[in-house]
Amino acid sequence: MKQKERFWRIALLFLPLAVFGVFVVWPLLDTFYYSFTNWNGFSRDYRFVGLDNFAGVVTDRLFTNATVNTLIWTALAIVLPTAGGLTLALMLDTQVPGAKAFKSVFYLPICLAAVVVGQIWIWIYQPDWGLLNAAITAVTGSPPAFAWLAEPESALYSVIVAWSWQQMGLAMVIFLAGLTSIPTYLLEAAEIEGASRGQRIRHVVLALLRPATVVAVALSVINSLKAFDILFIMTGGGPFHSSDTLAMYMYSESFKKYRIGYGSSISVILFLMTLSVITVYFRQLKKLDELYD
Amino acid sequence: MYHSFLFAARRACSTRGTRVPTAIRAGGVILALGLIASLAWASPAGEAAMDSQEVTITHYFGGDLGRAGLEEIFGTFHDQTGVTVVDSPIGHEDFKDGILVRAAGGNLPDVFSYWAGARTQFVVDGGNIAAIDDAWSANGLDAVIATSVADGATMYDGSRYLVPFGYHYAGMFYNAKVMAAAGVTEFPSDWDGFLALCENLKAQGIIPIALGTKNRWPGQFWFDYLLLRTAGPDYRAALMAGDASYTDPEVQRAMELWKELVDAGYFAPNANADEWTDASDKVARGDAAMTLMGTWITGYWNGQDLMAGDDYDFFEFPAIDAGVPNAVVGPVDGWLISANSPNRANAEALVSFLASDAEVQAKWAQIQGALSANVNVDVSTYTPVMQRALEAVGNADTFAFNYDLATTPPAAEFGLDMFSRFMDSPDDYMQHLADTEEGARGVFDSQ
Amino acid sequence: MTDGATATTPTTPTTPATPATPATPATPRRRRLSGWTGVLLVCLTVLALLFLTPTVGVILSALKSTRDIAFGTLWAIPRTLDLSNFAVALAHPSVKFYFVNTFLVTAPATAGSITLGILAGYVFSKLPFRGSEILFLVIVSGMFFPPQIILIPLFRLFNRLGLLDTLWPMIIVHIAMGIPICTLLMRNFFATVPAALREAAIVEGASEWRVLTGVALPVSLPALAVLGTLQFTWIWNDFLWPLIFTQSDNKRTIMLGIVSLRGQYTVAWGVQGALSLLASLPTLLVFLFFQRYFIAGMTMGAVKG
Repeated sequence: MKQKERFWRIALLFLPLAVFGVFVVWPLLDTFYYSFTNWNGFSRDYRFVGLDNFAGVVTDRLFTNATVNTLIWTALAIVLPTAGGLTLALMLDTQVPGAKAFKSVFYLPICLAAVVVGQIWIWIYQPDWGLLNAAITAVTGSPPAFAWLAEPESALYSVIVAWSWQQMGLAMVIFLAGLTSIPTYLLEAAEIEGASRGQRIRHVVLALLRPATVVAVALSVINSLKAFDILFIMTGGGPFHSSDTLAMYMYSESFKKYRIGYGSSISVILFLMTLSVITVYFRQLKKLDELYD
Repeated sequence: MYHSFLFAARRACSTRGTRVPTAIRAGGVILALGLIASLAWASPAGEAAMDSQEVTITHYFGGDLGRAGLEEIFGTFHDQTGVTVVDSPIGHEDFKDGILVRAAGGNLPDVFSYWAGARTQFVVDGGNIAAIDDAWSANGLDAVIATSVADGATMYDGSRYLVPFGYHYAGMFYNAKVMAAAGVTEFPSDWDGFLALCENLKAQGIIPIALGTKNRWPGQFWFDYLLLRTAGPDYRAALMAGDASYTDPEVQRAMELWKELVDAGYFAPNANADEWTDASDKVARGDAAMTLMGTWITGYWNGQDLMAGDDYDFFEFPAIDAGVPNAVVGPVDGWLISANSPNRANAEALVSFLASDAEVQAKWAQIQGALSANVNVDVSTYTPVMQRALEAVGNADTFAFNYDLATTPPAAEFGLDMFSRFMDSPDDYMQHLADTEEGARGVFDSQ
Repeated sequence: MTDGATATTPTTPTTPATPATPATPATPRRRRLSGWTGVLLVCLTVLALLFLTPTVGVILSALKSTRDIAFGTLWAIPRTLDLSNFAVALAHPSVKFYFVNTFLVTAPATAGSITLGILAGYVFSKLPFRGSEILFLVIVSGMFFPPQIILIPLFRLFNRLGLLDTLWPMIIVHIAMGIPICTLLMRNFFATVPAALREAAIVEGASEWRVLTGVALPVSLPALAVLGTLQFTWIWNDFLWPLIFTQSDNKRTIMLGIVSLRGQYTVAWGVQGALSLLASLPTLLVFLFFQRYFIAGMTMGAVKG
């Protein structure tokens, strides 16, 4: 029996681990290696510089700036799509007519190419004839001409809004699934006992949606750490690095300043940071397993 | 619901063949078909064996016109030599990443387009580029390449590397109808005249200058010309090489002149919201009168059915200080050959053909709104505006590369940041210069 | 809403025989809410219109010329229906390659990553061993870093393997990068299949493979639909790997094709918009097709982690 289990473990795990090891872990180790060099990518030779890159990163103002932005981005990119998706799901998990059509509308943005979506959002934020300023003018009567993507204090947030718009459908679908699984009799029992609609949502629905929330949050984290295309297109990290995230900054150091070594050390630090996020997430996962097993 | 599991479990044990649900089976079939198809489709071996007479080429001349134009040109080359050109155009920004990754991975195409100047120097330093002195003289390129661009753009460390394909000139492009409506008939050749023009336009309620610094580089032409017209080309060359400092009084003066223009309200607001195309659109729409831009703007405007001369025209950036040599600014696009290209001879034949065939050059210049690097191109194939641009280059004492091609790429990043930062807070220009100097110094010191 | 859907609801493991029948999981609730329904409908319609605005922008851009957009009239309703951008996009000599390539990458990569996720997920769920949690953590961590980190190492690797400028690097990398999410979801899904069930089958002489394909997989169809939709969408819309790994135009994928429409000094907004609308059709169809399973699938497995 035990021997058989061992056989199956090896047989079943071999392919996934081999592919993952060769095409993800090994390249990652390569990146670790470059992080100790001054390679510029074009040059055939490079030197080992020890921990110089890491020392440079720690004192780099732009790195600090990108770290703060990454934290803001990740926090908001978790909260906004998740909260928005939950709201949409709660609204759609009723007998409202046309729910199917609404679901498709809210899911549609994920299907569109990031390049084009980014450009459209640029045109929404365009200061002179963009849709947002036009709408504000129509409501307030005064022409605001605020350049959303051009001001360092608003650029990052403006991109996050566009990002949330694109990702909200995903969270909605997950919450819808979670809602479908909440037994009707629980809600009815609460109703009979005189709980108001708000109370029912708070105490029954939200409590039972916690597992779905973990998934939605996890997917948001995954996507937000990978989020690159839309930021690249809408601001490119600008104006002057004000909307840089770590992925963006790593990119511009590696590919615009041709500092592959330095960019690699940013990658390593980013990787270590995400590893700590995963540990927290993994603990949460275990807690849930214990809760429901 | 347990019974369904039990049922499934029992079924799994009792039947001989594994019962896999249809959808999974379908998925498996799709997987298998996909893999087989990709194997057949993707296999590189077959094609390579079929035709060894080929040259791979990568370039950033995308877009419908560029692509179609080059396709035709490559067709002509094939007809003449029997060599097939395997073309892979990439968008401009993506090209930069793509070529770096390919250089880093030791897999450059035989031929690729590149920007002459410090960028080419940077890849030449990396040891990945083939010197082409022999092909250059064998094909008599000395006789066909315009002297204004020849040596500065093609020679690196004493050898020829780059074959120029076309070049551009940066001038003050304006909306001719807006200017006529404002009663402007004379265009300024000195600084006071320029200030008077701006003041005149502004007084009539017209925004004088559009500038889009979202992608940072359009700001460089202002920096370049202001510095070249005051401190002169020699000082600028020293600054670009790291032998002068961004905090020098020369650079401060250029920035102060720029700041005066901004403070006077001559620039359209929100420069950092706009790309160069947005700024060009502002001028085309008449929302602004002029923009300092390269001649590719004529290609962009022609594509929107604007007429050279009637709808738009340009004047040269005005002189500021007396006695400073007259420099013009612009980029040169050219071709480089990879050092370990397996098709070296064909690659050299191709780049020579691209540069020396006057018809190809004329056609290409027309498509791109560029000036041809080939002296044999019939001037009458240019629009009147491009003919004047050619004259402007011919009359100049020096042809200087614009900022991001004049200084080494890692250092240029700091200056480019400065341009968009400056447009956001011009009052802090001293701080911006100090930051730029700190960054650039770090780059030059580490070399 | 298979009966499996209720199997894993957080509150029901102790009462597996929930009376909720597959056909009517939610019908009885909120019946007398016609007033509420009206309010909801209005809210949803407003939200849907807001949500559609950027999409409408894409459609408008596809119907306008570059000149229209340059002159600031993007957001105006066009007077005439100009489909020339679609004609240009479709007449593009390489567009058919782009679509075929994208499919040839997306289909096997989606199927492959899910297959490997099933294999690994089954072991982590049903055959845990010493250190398997750490191994699982390592694999899951693969979800969390931006792929740019391993761009150059991967390029060098595929260069050595001689696979550049084929579709293989894209297929392989998407499979490899998809393993974490697929393993995670499948592991959590399989966790809901009672261990006793597997043991009973094993005792009756079934192999692990038989349990996996005969017991676990048949009830995991919804989870497969979830992963299928997610992976298909992500891989279809990717443009980083094609940018790096392809060189010939006829090896490129549709996203790269859209990006490459723009030249150094030219724009092609209208054609890009048209092509991206066409390119979004497959992913939208996949979503619509799997929608039922997708919802139910999330209920069953994904919800747990």
